[in-house]
Amino acid sequence: MNPSGTAVFEITGLNYRYDKVPALNGLSLKIGRGERIALLGANGSGKSTLLRILDALAFGDKGEVKFFGSPLTPQSMEDESFAYDFRRKVGLVFQNPDVQLFNPTVFDEVAFGPLQMGWTHGKVNEAVTRALEGMEIAHLWDRAPHRLSGGEKKRVAIASVLVLDPEVVLLDEPTVTLDPKSQSQVIDLLVDWKSGAKTVITATHQLELVDAIADKCFVMQQGQIMATGTPAEILSDGDLLLRTNLVHSHRHTHDGVTHSHPHVHGPGGHSHTH
Amino acid sequence: MHIPDGYLSPATCVVLYGGAAPFWYVSLRKIRRQLHTRVIPLISVFSAFSFVIMMFNLPLPGGTTGHAVGMGVTTVVLGPWGSILAISVALTIQAFFFGDGGITALGANCFNMAIVGSLVTYLVYRWIAGRSPLTSRRRMFSAAIAGYVAINTAALFAAVEFGVQPLLFKDAMGAPLYAPYPLSVAIPAMMIGHLTFAGAAEAIITGGIVAYLQRSDASLLAPFSGLTVEGAATESRTSILGRLWAGLAALMLLTPLGVLAVGTAWGEWSVKDFADAAAREKIIAASQHRTLPAGVPEGLHRLSSAWTAPFPDYAPQFIRSEPVGYMLSAMFGVGIILAVLWLGRKFLLRGGNTP
Amino acid sequence: MSQHKFLSGTIGGFTHALQHALESEELARVDGWLQRLDPRVKLVGLLALVVATAASRKLSVVLLIFAVALVMAMASHVQWKTLFTRVWLPVLGFTGVIAVPAIFLTPGEVFWRSPFGVVHVTHAGLRAAAMLVSRVETAATMSTLLILCTPWTHVLKALRSLHVPVEIVAILMMTHRYVYLLIETANEMFVARQSRMVGRLDAATQRRVATRTGGVLLSKTVQLGEEVHLAMQARGFRGDVRLLDQFRMETRDYAALMLLLGITAAALYVGH
Repeated sequence: MNPSGTAVFEITGLNYRYDKVPALNGLSLKIGRGERIALLGANGSGKSTLLRILDALAFGDKGEVKFFGSPLTPQSMEDESFAYDFRRKVGLVFQNPDVQLFNPTVFDEVAFGPLQMGWTHGKVNEAVTRALEGMEIAHLWDRAPHRLSGGEKKRVAIASVLVLDPEVVLLDEPTVTLDPKSQSQVIDLLVDWKSGAKTVITATHQLELVDAIADKCFVMQQGQIMATGTPAEILSDGDLLLRTNLVHSHRHTHDGVTHSHPHVHGPGGHSHTH
Repeated sequence: MHIPDGYLSPATCVVLYGGAAPFWYVSLRKIRRQLHTRVIPLISVFSAFSFVIMMFNLPLPGGTTGHAVGMGVTTVVLGPWGSILAISVALTIQAFFFGDGGITALGANCFNMAIVGSLVTYLVYRWIAGRSPLTSRRRMFSAAIAGYVAINTAALFAAVEFGVQPLLFKDAMGAPLYAPYPLSVAIPAMMIGHLTFAGAAEAIITGGIVAYLQRSDASLLAPFSGLTVEGAATESRTSILGRLWAGLAALMLLTPLGVLAVGTAWGEWSVKDFADAAAREKIIAASQHRTLPAGVPEGLHRLSSAWTAPFPDYAPQFIRSEPVGYMLSAMFGVGIILAVLWLGRKFLLRGGNTP
Repeated sequence: MSQHKFLSGTIGGFTHALQHALESEELARVDGWLQRLDPRVKLVGLLALVVATAASRKLSVVLLIFAVALVMAMASHVQWKTLFTRVWLPVLGFTGVIAVPAIFLTPGEVFWRSPFGVVHVTHAGLRAAAMLVSRVETAATMSTLLILCTPWTHVLKALRSLHVPVEIVAILMMTHRYVYLLIETANEMFVARQSRMVGRLDAATQRRVATRTGGVLLSKTVQLGEEVHLAMQARGFRGDVRLLDQFRMETRDYAALMLLLGITAAALYVGH
């Protein structure tokens, strides 16, 4: 095995243009096995694009992406057995659950991946049942997507990815469209779900999630990695957060004194310290 | 224009399912080549879109409201083959889950609205729009006229399907078994509503949405505009359009004739059969030896001559037969549509919107 | 008539469709005769009866099939009121209006002549009108029973047993799913527009609102299609669809299938 085989993903000098507008500019990063990563960045920083590239749904114009040492290219994904192996090992939970839930019922939805993998019906049923129970949505099995609440949809979307027991899970803004109660439920499920070897990469701009779901952060801006560090290091660097638009300067008045300080929006209103 | 179950005889339904089948097959093949693995998601969401557009209650000039079919805008964006599939799927969902349009008549509805509607839209749109820029007013009006002509052609097909029913399908005593009105009633009744309200609704939604896309998302109009690399690459593009025109013309003449032919073959009898001795034997046998009226029933004869009546008596006999009656009425309808088309194109070209 | 009929009319139509769908979903869960049958049996059996209805040349046979539909409705706990409001009344309103002139226009032996001979009713006209109305009512009742007593996912999966290609079934399923999403999206746009409306809108403005909504919807549709495609690929889709359908035929299903096809065969034989 070559030495880079230990890295799940290794990206070097990646450029990507979307509709002629550069979305990623010479981005490089390395993600090790079992790491829990947060991709932090404001809207438009390129984190969703990066997730799609990591899931081999889009491919860079320049640079290289390697998955366990093998290049991810349109050509390599044409290879039946490589693509099968990749899809089996890497799952992406889309930001918009209406995009992800394209099947008529919850059960069909969660069964879609396993069926594409060509599993036997017995094995499919078993895996689906387990995934539904894991996300505490077994009672919803025959519901249509339009009869689900936002939080339920999100849990179905996560179950539909976890059902394959993937080695790498990519999450795009997992809680952003949810009401506060569903947000904390989904976060609890994500935090409780600890299966040692899994690599979890979460793109988010919600800083309050970071402590719970990541050991390492990449801060993105204009299609580049601006900083790397532990959640504690990144969250304490107010200047960096302000520069990358993850917090915005907030001016208000206490006891007749006006001052400004960085400020974070989170579930259940917003909080800040003085 | 959603024909329910019971208006058309099973023989007609079979013919129209049969007529639709090759178009579905060809569309699916063409669209697979165009879209690869995107076929299923893209056709699905576009079908859903057509479904929802059919539910729009459009305000029309004169204070009424009307519904469009959406074949115009679907064709302009998705091309004729994609549109055939998307509208067919939308009609199927309507028939099976919302009880709108019959299940036995689904083939007929798909034939009229999805297939005829999409092909006519595409031909008229490409013909009038020519090589005008994506955001030109001429292109917007082309789409509106295309939608108008398409829904009227579809209505004409439906009217002919209705109108041949009483000629072909009657009970033993001469009462019509299905849609009861002959061509002379069915065609004007359908066309008056469509040349005015339904046509206006389709023109408004097609032209209006194209105008919106021109302002906000013109790239969506590019693939089937005739301006793309794909379109400009070969001169044969024009000949493909020509072949489509020819195919459509053949369709207009042949399909209802097929309805007539199968109608008689299936033990439904026309005027001529009543006069023919051998056919009479068969009819008597099939109707469990009930006696038949000696001559052609008076009503049937009157109906079959409704459209050929204006011909003088000394005209050859075949002119006063039913197929000719059908042809004449169809030609009349086609004539109106072609006149509208020709006037529309002339008007737009004179408007100085040429590229 | 409200001056914003086009908005309230469209919104009303959306609400109506969603209500109907909800009603069907609830009825499909009720424990009744049709509900318990294998969806393939229902699909084949009820469609066969629709064909028999369309093929019959005798009014009496059509009416007998209608009676069969009523018995099935009762055995499946479908209220007559539901059928009345969903099928019988609307069909009568539409087809009835179309059929009435036929009573006077159809040539044939005169049955009744109005004073002064203004109009006359013919035997053939009466029979033609009665035939059309009862045929359309019966066929619509039959297909409505299918919709009401079967979850729609089962109807679609059962289409596979009629050799509809799996690709088409997948498209139908996904269309059905996204119809709801797009109805909701369009509805939100219309409701938002309605709430902002002050005073009168002239017809041209109304049309602009409608076509603009259609345009926004179309842009969203295209984007949705592309994203759904990515979501499918992400879970291993490479162009071939695989569906889960595990219906199991039991004795009762075979018996019901024989019964429904038997009625159909008898109706076809007698009705011809």
